[in-house]
Amino acid sequence: MIEIILIIIAPIIGGLIYGFERVVRARMQNRQGPPLLQPFYDMYKLIDKQAFIINPYHTILGISHFITLWTVIAFIILGQNLLYVVFLHLLSSIFLILAGFSVKSIYSHIGSNRELLSIIAYEPILIMLAVGFFLLNGSFDISIIRENSPSIVSLFLLFLAFLMVVPIKLKKSPFDATEAHQEIVGGVEIEFSGVFFEFLYMAKWLEYIFIYLLLFLFAGDSIFLAIVLFVSVFLLVNLIDNSTARIKMKHLIKIVLTIGLIFGMLNLIGLAYV
Amino acid sequence: MFNLKKYRKKSPWILHYNAGSCNGCDIEILASLSPKYDLERFGVINTGNPKQSDIFLVTGPVTFRSRERLVELYTQMPEPKVVVAVGSCSCTGGVFRGMYNVEDGIDRYIPVDVYIPGCATSPELIIDGLVKGLDILEKKTKEIEKPYKLYKEVSTKDDIVNRRGSALKIGEVDDKN
Repeated sequence: MIEIILIIIAPIIGGLIYGFERVVRARMQNRQGPPLLQPFYDMYKLIDKQAFIINPYHTILGISHFITLWTVIAFIILGQNLLYVVFLHLLSSIFLILAGFSVKSIYSHIGSNRELLSIIAYEPILIMLAVGFFLLNGSFDISIIRENSPSIVSLFLLFLAFLMVVPIKLKKSPFDATEAHQEIVGGVEIEFSGVFFEFLYMAKWLEYIFIYLLLFLFAGDSIFLAIVLFVSVFLLVNLIDNSTARIKMKHLIKIVLTIGLIFGMLNLIGLAYV
Repeated sequence: MFNLKKYRKKSPWILHYNAGSCNGCDIEILASLSPKYDLERFGVINTGNPKQSDIFLVTGPVTFRSRERLVELYTQMPEPKVVVAVGSCSCTGGVFRGMYNVEDGIDRYIPVDVYIPGCATSPELIIDGLVKGLDILEKKTKEIEKPYKLYKEVSTKDDIVNRRGSALKIGEVDDKN
């Protein structure tokens, strides 16, 4: 029962995390910042705005991106197979990329290209993460992973690789070239407007839930460790976001693929043979 | 019960366009978004995207080159929207008024709701002008989207079609729709 409630309120929790994060980032820059419920105000405003439909497929793909992402969250909360989760999440990204390519705007195409390139960078790390949990627990099931003891020590190098995935998925500096706020005007989300942009906006909150739920897997059955991990990663990501500039797409791929793949492979070899 | 209109005021997303400005007002707009003046405490986000923004901040007298882009950006913004003219140049043309390639202010091309004077205008004035624009944004309706026809039923008398007086007066349009 509690799982069903958690799945239903997942976007609301994501919105609260996003609002809290905006406040934290503002305080780090020594300013007041928006109110905590600002994402929900934005959402109510977007319902009231006029919506332009570029073409039907564009809007439908945007909505299916949101629905698929919500399904991914449901899979994680219900304790399903971790490989399903990783590949279903890939499907949700593919929907967004197809939506970006379905309109004529060149910025949308650039955004889709960069989204594809970032998938090349972070997807191997997520798959290696699943393999690492399999080697440690003997199963891909998230419910079994959650029952075992914390795995952050044995998977420490994979955890470091995973820390590089967090800014890519949450669109944070230095790895925010996929969205690139003013540079390519939001990339794939440029042609969405009104209530249809709201689905993308809420999908952004669900990405927060997705990333932090994956982070909780490292904590295993220890709730205390999960909270410690959440708070430290949250603060670390925002601190790095505030203190670094955006890097180019090719540098993103080079850094994440080389360091992430090497760390992940070392960890997997260590788990398999040591 | 759940009045969506009051949330417009709480999350104005701005679109900033430079219609041939000297960059003085642009710097002041960016200064008002920076930590010292902190426009984000009103929920303002500087989106570069006309399709997701509510407030159109225009600086500069409209030059010959930028006027088409100005109108195009205005039409790409979804209703309800507010246009704010920032600086003397975009209000009246300023020191460039009467020049051969300058169109003397943005209100020759698009309807303006708030005028912010000053050369260059100060961040305090920009914040005051934006807050004024938010009051106007709350009052705006989406009626402008509603399609209606301007003609009445055509009257036919002795098999002769009479089109005289078939157009609606302005007051009658408001009553009907």
